[in-house]
Amino acid sequence: MTTDAISPFISEPWTDPSAKPFIRIRGISRHFGAVKAVDNVDLDIYKGELFCLLGGSGSGKTTLLRMLCGFDNPTAGTIEIDGQDMSHVPPYKRPVNMMFQSYALFPHMNVAKNVGYGLARDGMPKAQINSRVEELLAMVQMEGFGARKPNQLSGGQRQRVALARALAKKPKLLLLDEPLGALDKKLREETQFELMKLQEDLGVTFVVVTHDQEEAMTLATRIAVMVDGKLAQVSTPRDVYEYPNSRFVADFIGGVNLFEGRVTADEENHMKLQSPEAGLEIHVGHGVSCSPGQRMWYALRPEKIRIARDRPDQPHNVVEGMVEEVAYMGSLSVYRINLDSGKQIKVTQPNLDRAQDNPISWDQRVYVSWGSSAGVVLPT
Amino acid sequence: MVIAIPMIWLLVFFLIPFAVVFKLSLSEAAIARPPYLPMMTWDEEGILTFVLNIGNYFYLLDDDLYIFAYMQSMKIALVSTVICLLVAYPMALAIARANSSTRNLLLMLVILPFWTSFLLRVYAWIGILKTNGLLNNALLWLGLIDQPLAIMQTDLAVYIGIVYTYLPFMILPLYTSLVKQDESLLEAAADLGARPVTAFFSVTLPLSFPGIAAGSLLVFIPVVGEFVIPALLGGPDTLMIGRVLWSEFFSNRDWPVASAVATVMLVVLVVPIMLLRLAQQADEKKA
Repeated sequence: MTTDAISPFISEPWTDPSAKPFIRIRGISRHFGAVKAVDNVDLDIYKGELFCLLGGSGSGKTTLLRMLCGFDNPTAGTIEIDGQDMSHVPPYKRPVNMMFQSYALFPHMNVAKNVGYGLARDGMPKAQINSRVEELLAMVQMEGFGARKPNQLSGGQRQRVALARALAKKPKLLLLDEPLGALDKKLREETQFELMKLQEDLGVTFVVVTHDQEEAMTLATRIAVMVDGKLAQVSTPRDVYEYPNSRFVADFIGGVNLFEGRVTADEENHMKLQSPEAGLEIHVGHGVSCSPGQRMWYALRPEKIRIARDRPDQPHNVVEGMVEEVAYMGSLSVYRINLDSGKQIKVTQPNLDRAQDNPISWDQRVYVSWGSSAGVVLPT
Repeated sequence: MVIAIPMIWLLVFFLIPFAVVFKLSLSEAAIARPPYLPMMTWDEEGILTFVLNIGNYFYLLDDDLYIFAYMQSMKIALVSTVICLLVAYPMALAIARANSSTRNLLLMLVILPFWTSFLLRVYAWIGILKTNGLLNNALLWLGLIDQPLAIMQTDLAVYIGIVYTYLPFMILPLYTSLVKQDESLLEAAADLGARPVTAFFSVTLPLSFPGIAAGSLLVFIPVVGEFVIPALLGGPDTLMIGRVLWSEFFSNRDWPVASAVATVMLVVLVVPIMLLRLAQQADEKKA
């Protein structure tokens, strides 16, 4: 299904079966009483990746991260980092550093002491620590802040100090728990790109936990979508968005319109899905492994739908509806359209011109159409 | 307005009584009722005379009994505070790190002794420590000693009594400061390569300094003026300022000297604390 995906990344070690994973997670579970926080997860993460664990609260993403740095012990399963089994390695001996969600800066130490803490534990001489701390503070653009206490810094500055501290020991693997969660939107966007650049420059493997799908899409080489302690899908951001493997993933990442239907035609180069919910027979321009009569779902992203007053010239995938609501969002407009079948769908259209003559507005009848490869057929 | 309430409290229950004591310390003892001469007198020509007698303070300096008692009180208070700290810290840490249901039970146990009269509990220690008391009998029975230990009426008995009595005052502030410490700080320390012991000394301990300071003051200050414990458990050598004060007041009926003793005690206690506060504030300003 994912063969025709185009990835912007040059190297894709996960597509190469002979590549050796940097982190190898096998059958890992963590149960808290009857709650299965993490449930039998297998996962390979490769060197140099910026890997995102994406999920809602309680999905087990943070528990998985905590097992990677050794704060939580798995109920079952193994974790290997760089070929070494981590089962009995305490946190202070792992080649892993973590940037905490709360940053966990030591409030009684100044910035320089915080950043140099790990180095001092390794017994590095003072002069060397000082120069390394200077270097790190310069890297995160915090020169001259060494003498400040954490409570004298802004949220963004604390985030930088926490990052510098986590990178001080040149870890092979950096874990980041909601690294941008405490920052406001503008700062978050800036910092995202800085984080990516840093990761590229240093070549450190990053594993990022986040509940923000936009953040995951921007940052990640690959995303693992977690739900109920299991991995729902592990793919590149593009594949997760364009080729979700379940209704849950489709719905979790971005907006989606879902139509339930039954397979009426199942050919080599196309298939058809009779959907009373959409009020038509959906034409899909590629083969899908399914059997006639099978119940399936068609997931269609709002931006992949066109709307027009005149009937478009295409044989398939055209339905009529009435505009219920229009929301102007600046870069695009969002339409809520009631199809004649009764189903309400969401459509977004880019605002290509500043002034539109006679734009589509409330209570107007429109034709809704989409291409034969616009949506995804999902079995579950 | 809100700040006025503690101010009024301090004025009514601290400053005014202290002023009364201070005034008393400047008067002259007399066989009278009350047993001192009035400070202000009108003589027959209608002239108001103030008599300020600072002789009581010189008297304290003159007699090395008082200086000795002050020093002894300070020493006992200091040693007791250190012992309390060493005993209380692991307890407070264990309570702070226990899960919440156990924690409440443990806190209850710390506070439980307060439900019995303090005096009764000190008398109970006499029963434990005396020559044919529980402790000696137990040790004899176990064969660990063949002669009863003389603990009663020694400094050791005083230390035991004081540490026992004041331990909760050390545990509670320590617990309060330990329990609010962010757990992720210790995880961060471990993550950066600190073993548990190193993490304790570099993170937990320094962050609990406010608790240590509060607990130490809560133990040190009342112990300096402690009267009951040295009187009941200590011997004739255990001379503490509280006892001296008591005997000046009740046995000698010399209220002015007793007041002078109390005033000096207050100055001796308050001045170092104020200096400490000033140093802390200067430190905070510098940071």
